[in-house]
Amino acid sequence: MRLNDRVFGILMLILAFGYGWEATQFPEPFGGGESVGPETFPIILSFLLGISAVYLILKPDPDEAWPASKMLLELSAVALAILVFAWAIEPIGFIPAAIMIVSYLCWRMGAKPKNCLLTGTISSVVMFLIFNNMLELALPLGLLEF
Amino acid sequence: METINLLMQGFAVALTPESIMFAIIGSILGTLIGALPGLGPANGVAILIPLAFSLGLSPTSSLILLTSVYAGAMYGGRISSILLNIPGDEPAMMTCLDGYPMALKGKAAEALAISAIASFIGSLIATIGLVILAPILAKFALKFGPAEYFALFALAFATLGGITGKNQFKTLMAAALGLMIASVGIDISSGVQRYTFNTLELFEGVDFIIAIVGLFAISELLFFIEKHAGDGMKKVAVNRLKLTMKDVIKVLPSSIRGALLGFVAGVLPGAGASLGSFVSYTLEKKIVGTNGDFGKGDPRGVAAPEAGNNGAASGALVPMLTLGVPGSGTTAVLLAMLISLNVTPGPMLFQQNADLVWGVIAALFVGNLVLLLLNIPMVGIFVKLLSIPPKYLMPIVTLVASVGIYSVSHSALDLYFMVAFGVVGYILRKVDIPLVPVILGMLLGPEMEKSLRHALVLSDGDWGALFNSGLSIGLWVVAILGLVLPVIIGPIVRSKMRQAKTSD
Repeated sequence: MRLNDRVFGILMLILAFGYGWEATQFPEPFGGGESVGPETFPIILSFLLGISAVYLILKPDPDEAWPASKMLLELSAVALAILVFAWAIEPIGFIPAAIMIVSYLCWRMGAKPKNCLLTGTISSVVMFLIFNNMLELALPLGLLEF
Repeated sequence: METINLLMQGFAVALTPESIMFAIIGSILGTLIGALPGLGPANGVAILIPLAFSLGLSPTSSLILLTSVYAGAMYGGRISSILLNIPGDEPAMMTCLDGYPMALKGKAAEALAISAIASFIGSLIATIGLVILAPILAKFALKFGPAEYFALFALAFATLGGITGKNQFKTLMAAALGLMIASVGIDISSGVQRYTFNTLELFEGVDFIIAIVGLFAISELLFFIEKHAGDGMKKVAVNRLKLTMKDVIKVLPSSIRGALLGFVAGVLPGAGASLGSFVSYTLEKKIVGTNGDFGKGDPRGVAAPEAGNNGAASGALVPMLTLGVPGSGTTAVLLAMLISLNVTPGPMLFQQNADLVWGVIAALFVGNLVLLLLNIPMVGIFVKLLSIPPKYLMPIVTLVASVGIYSVSHSALDLYFMVAFGVVGYILRKVDIPLVPVILGMLLGPEMEKSLRHALVLSDGDWGALFNSGLSIGLWVVAILGLVLPVIIGPIVRSKMRQAKTSD
């Protein structure tokens, strides 16, 4: 199967059209248009992307295997965990948020739960001390602020 | 003479206690990162950029820190090649061929020491080459007008796929995507909003530091979980070092030849360190002929490719500093750093920021000496680090990268963007779209568009102006060759690299 490149090529072709069309809709710059306006370069780019997308659709490379759906779910969970970490830094504080993310990642990579928690705690506290005390980059304390 | 004076001034910058400190820290961190299987110099520099940024280091200090990380990571790559037979990145692949057999024969310490010495010689010779060649190229580049610059940028993209890139159309596609991301934001010349969809955060465009960390570090994490989750490393024991002067002298000619070849490969756009180490190894094998024991643990087979890849690493700085056109993934990342610091690489850099350029070049000399001194006695520590399973290290590396990003602007939004780029990077790598052209497109996009518009305004909209001078035609020809030649040579080189790897 050579599906990857074809599907990706089609997506990129749609992107090239959308991007190029949007460029033709730019408002005329103040003081009148010039021979080369803000839309010139984007239009060239949309052609470049369009041509290479068509090539991929016509002559796709052999596929690299996608992970099984279980692994895809796993990877999505990892991405989600980092997003949660990003959200949590301020309200909850850096240390708890970092313990969570490091422990979670260690666990998903196959470490034992006790070791995960240990790695998470040590690395978070050490990083907090380095950032706050040595580098003077304030990381939020959050819940631990009292 | 002028060069010598400037270099001396550079040493005055590089030998301040602060600079030496950054060179040492960078060298250690770089070696550590390079030693970890899977993480190469581009990743190393990408992870540390946000940190250097949020610390508010001066351009000189940041650049010294990051070039030391770069040099250190090139050194460190050999450790996992020799001990684990796992190259940290592509250029380190050739070191496995004789390094691992040496380790199996109980000569791991010797292999490590020889590779450290060869790396030193490679970097030293290439840095001397940089001192000689860079100012000449910079003077020459002053003749460039906007049309020549536009052709030069095209050349950078055309040659980026290089010998090891697989499908030139994918490189082209990646470059287009990067350039498209660069066009997001308010157009400087006309003030028109482009692709911002009225989102305030997008008015200034997409921050490439976030993109770099996402594309490199986060996508690497996802790959790591998919491929290696859980596995520890089987390690070869390291013996006590028994290296005589005679052993060193035996590998000296190989190192020097490797260094010179590597430097040339590094300067040539698109060729890079992979080609440097490959050519050095193959040539060495030819020169030594049947007297050698190549593939079974010949020390010269360790020295040549190591000198080659380190030579190429410094060589790649020549086009990056003089033309603003990086020759490799890591130099692209370094370029991102410079642009973020409001330093525009290119011929003017040598005139306007002479202190910075020569400071960095001098720091390369210092860094390499530090690396040599560090690597011979301290190699045991780096080896110990390899025994820590990646299941603990990768999460910590991810944390360091994220905290760096967060510290730049203290905004969770940047981290969301980082994750989004990570997912995109994962998908692109899965469909074999190279990431470096994407980054390069983001970096060079604004300048490239500016020179195009400038050239066309000067010619009153006549597109022929882009091909008007001998110089620009020359650049276009090289660009087209750069796009076409790898299609012919690439498969040959790659299949030879693979043959060499499997026949041992």
